[in-house]
Parts: sequence; structure tokens; C-alpha cells
Amino acid sequence: MRTRRVVIQAGLAALAAPSVLRAQTISGSITLMAYAGIFQDNYTRTVVEPFQRAFPNVKVNYAPGGTSAQMVGNIRAQKADPQVDVAIMDVTTSTIGNVEGLFDKITAAEAPSLDELYADARQVGGDFGPAVTFDHLVLVYDTQAVKPPIARLADLWRPDLKGAIALAAPPNIQGLALTAMVAKMEGGDYKQSIDPAIKKLRELAPSVQTFEPNPDGYSLIVNGVVKVATGWNARAQLFSDETKGKIGVLLPPEGSVFQINTINLTAGSKNRAAAVAFINYALSQAAQKAFTERMFYAPTNGKAAIDPAAIARTAAGAESRNRMIPLNWNDIIKVRDQWNNRWRREVIAAGR
Amino acid sequence: MTRQPRLAWLLAPATLFLVLVYVWPTLGLFRIAFNEVGPTGAMIEAWSLATWRHVFADSFTFELTLNSIWLSLTSTFLALLLSYPVSLFLFRTESRFRSLLAVIAIMPMLVSSVVRVFGWLAILGDRGLINSLLQSLGVISAPVRMVYNWTGVTIGLAESIMPYMILALLAGFGRLDRTLEEAARSLGAPPWRTFLRVTLPLSLPAIALAFGLGFILSMSAYITPKLLGGGRVFVLATEIFEQATTNTNWPVAAVLAVYTLALLLGLLALSNLFSRRLQT
Repeated sequence: MRTRRVVIQAGLAALAAPSVLRAQTISGSITLMAYAGIFQDNYTRTVVEPFQRAFPNVKVNYAPGGTSAQMVGNIRAQKADPQVDVAIMDVTTSTIGNVEGLFDKITAAEAPSLDELYADARQVGGDFGPAVTFDHLVLVYDTQAVKPPIARLADLWRPDLKGAIALAAPPNIQGLALTAMVAKMEGGDYKQSIDPAIKKLRELAPSVQTFEPNPDGYSLIVNGVVKVATGWNARAQLFSDETKGKIGVLLPPEGSVFQINTINLTAGSKNRAAAVAFINYALSQAAQKAFTERMFYAPTNGKAAIDPAAIARTAAGAESRNRMIPLNWNDIIKVRDQWNNRWRREVIAAGR
Repeated sequence: MTRQPRLAWLLAPATLFLVLVYVWPTLGLFRIAFNEVGPTGAMIEAWSLATWRHVFADSFTFELTLNSIWLSLTSTFLALLLSYPVSLFLFRTESRFRSLLAVIAIMPMLVSSVVRVFGWLAILGDRGLINSLLQSLGVISAPVRMVYNWTGVTIGLAESIMPYMILALLAGFGRLDRTLEEAARSLGAPPWRTFLRVTLPLSLPAIALAFGLGFILSMSAYITPKLLGGGRVFVLATEIFEQATTNTNWPVAAVLAVYTLALLLGLLALSNLFSRRLQT
């Protein structure tokens, strides 16, 4: 019996030897640039710290980077001498980095977790950094003040919500996503025309208290400044838990839009091996499971065994996936300025 | 070595510092203004006037300019109305607490502008101090919207530039001679006429100085319009930030920044010219 156990242990040790050896040969420090605040807190706890335990010779410095555009701007400014090794940001800005040569391609040979990703997660970055989280736009509302609770996107136009709404207007991607959602609500398709959406949003404008929620819509609801706002599901779910249900989260039955964060390897990283090891870990089943169960971003690793209760609250839940409007962010980037101008001249102007 | 070159050496550290932290980045800004942006939003290295043409063909740039000038004029005028009596009092008072009062007047400068703006949100908001008071007194039945619009931005901006204007007024009151006012009074002029015919004309250079400073600070203000404007107040400073940090469109941001810089330099030159005329 004892001999059998020893043989099994020896076999397992032999199987694990390459990765253990690899973990010990990779060393030094890397800088990860990603979102600040609760993202940083939770990502550090569920991904960065376990990675450092698996790779004890690698130190990860977490550099909070502001918005995605600010992050790509930082990396652009450091192009000649990169200080960041890995960056997590929205796909609309990582695409810019890919085109400008700020990020490097990553292969499955160096990061085997890539082969475990959903096809759309892998495709989103092409040969460059893949999707690391999925999220979607939701409506967040004050469950104590909004009676009856909002049940659909069209409820934003309810008279009792006049003056109590916070929307993030374009060029914020929340505003762009909302435009596509309202276009669908009005029976159209954003690819054909956003005229019906703009007309409908003009009607909503006088009810909007702010088109630029600061610091964000969730805080404005908690502080009683507004009753309804647009938000991202993951953060909204977390705020809902933290406020013991004061913040309600609604995935509108009319449909929503995916937001995709990619994980990117900076071109010219001074510690490429450690950076790739981190990316591989961040995309692994363990990291994806831990972060999803903690913060409700939908996983991009199709093999991650995630608690069904957590999955149900993410964009990966069956209900969520069925409601998603197929939207190609690369197409949206091309019309962003045009949509932005229409919001300023037609929508916001109607709400002055 | 003569005295002048020796004095010039004293300027060397400051000049070097300015070249490093201001001139060099500004030259970089000029360079970026000639780049282009591709359909994906990526910046393309070029020597092109395409972005300039795009920015100046857009009527929104004209609207931004007018908005910036109008906001600066109104907030500076409001700040002047409030700062002038305070400064005059501080200049005239013989109280032993004069220094303390002056410090109190400029104390807002010691507080972060973000904190000040959030303070205004707490005062002027729908559920803020003023609306709550007016509602509890029965003066209004529904909150009056005082933030997330031009009203809030004008009030917030006026408050933020007041300390600078008070200092500028105090510095410019040098020509105010009390004996001239006493002479006017002794010749039978009532206080209001003394003020209009003697005090005010003599303080015009100080007013011009303070107004110029306040106007330029308002033109370049970003935090107040951004946080109190609710996305409804579009000015050059907020647009530059938006283009650089949300749209990732550095060339447009750079063109607008260069344009704003030129506009401010022009306005500064005008202000100086006006001040000199008043002093002669």
C-alpha cells in the first residue's frame, strides 16, 4: 500500500516537474497595468497573489492605469522604453495598441491557456492579446426608491424617473453601447441607422440629471443623487452585494452589449518570459474561476469550472448570452465620432 | 564679468527647468498635432495638415471657443463683483487681524479643486443645502437645478478664481490714495460719488489685472466644467481632455491645445495692452 502511494507521488512529481522547474527559472519583476479601485483589489487577491505563489521568484507590480484610453496613452508615451509589461484594457483601445505596434503577438506555444479560450475570446485580439474578461451593459437602480422596480430599458422613459437618471454619453463606450441597445429597442439595427435611437434618446434627455456621472453611476445611486444609471454588470453585481441590495441590476430584456477586456503583452517588455507566464496564468482555469466567482466578470476560458450561481450573474449566463446584441466594436470605433457629434448636437442639446 | 551677465546666470536653473518641463513637451505637442489618426483610432506618424483641417472645418470648434470665452467672461465678472469689495476691505482695514483675514480670503487655494467641486455638489445639488432649505421653507416645491449645467459651472468657477483675483486686486491697489477720497468728501461728494469718480477709476488698473488673470484661469479650467457640467458644458479644456483620454485621439487633442494656447497668448497680449493704457 505504502509502496503504491510512493510510486503515485513520484509519478505526480515527475509530471509536475517541468512546470515547477519553469516556475523557478522565471524570475524578476513585471508591471501589470489595469483598472484601479475594486478591480485592482479583487484582481490582486484572486489572480496576482496566487500567480506570485506559483512563481515565487516573480514580483508583480500593479500599476493602476485609469481608463483604457489613458492606459494605451501611457504605453504609447513609453514606446521607446516600456515600463509596463502586461496591460488589461478595453478591446477598443487595445486594438489601437496592436495597430501601433505597442503590443506583441502571443502564441499558444508560449501561453498554452490560449488553447482553452472560447473561440470569440481568442479571435477578438487576432494574434495579439486575447479577451481576459467579458462584461455587459446593465441598468442599475435604487431598489428602495424606484417603485415599481424597472423591468426593461423602455422604463427609463417613465415620468417618475424624470431628473433622476445618470447616463454616460459617448465617447464613453457606455453611451455607444446604449445607442445600439436603444436602436434595437426601437426595432432597428445600429448598422443601418441610429436615427430612431437618437430620436428616442432626445425624448429621454430632459430626464437625465447628468451625462457624465462622477465618480460613477453606482456611487450617485448610493448617495441618493440619482435613482437609475447605466453601468457594467460585474461592478454592478459587486456594488449590489456590498450595498446589501440597495443597488438593483437589470439586464434589459430588449438586449445588451458585450464589453471585452483584453490582456496584452507590451512590445519590448524587459521581462517577456515572466510577462507571458503571467498572461498564461491570468487566462488559466484557476485564475478565471477565482476572478469570476469574486467579481462576476464572465470568463473567457471555456474549461474553467465556475460555480453556476456566479455564472448566472455574469455575461456568460444562458439568459445573458441570449440577450446580447451582436456588436463589433471595431465597426463602432469607425462611427464613434459621428455618434458622439449626434449625441452632443441632438441628444444632450435637448436636455439642457 | 559685468553685472548683467552675472545676473543672467541666476536665471539659468529656472530657464533650464522650464525648457525641460514646459518647452520640450510643448514642442512634442506641436509635433503630434501634425500626425493623423487611422480608421481604427491608431495614430499615424506624419507631417500632415489633415487634423488641422478636420478641427477647423468642424463648427463645434467654433462653438467650443465661444463657450469657453462666454464661461470665462461670466465667471470672471461674477468673481470680480465678489472679490472687489473683499479686496478693498482688506486693503483699507487697520484691524490687527488684517493678515489673518487675508489668509482666510485666499484659503480656498489651499483646498484641492476636486474637493471644492464636490463641496459645491453638496451645496447646490437637488438634495443639497440650498434646495433643502428652500423646500423646507416652502419657497419651492421641487428642487431647482443648480448643478450639472452652466449655472453650477459658473458659480464653481467664480469661487475657484476668487482667491487669485483677490491677490491680484490687492497687488494692484497701489495707486489708491485715501487722501484723494478724503479731498472729494471734503468738497461735498457723497460716498457713492466718491467711489464712482475717485476710487473706481484709480482701481481700474487693478481690476484689469485681476480680470485678465481670472479670465485666463477660467479659460484653462478643466476640473470645474468637467465635474459640475454634467456633460452639458463643452469648453476647449474639457474637449482636449476628452479627445486625449477617452477618444485616444492625440492629434485632435494636440491641435486644440495649440489653438487654445495661441488664443490665450492673444488674449494675454490684449489684456496687457489694456492694462498699460489704463496705467498711462
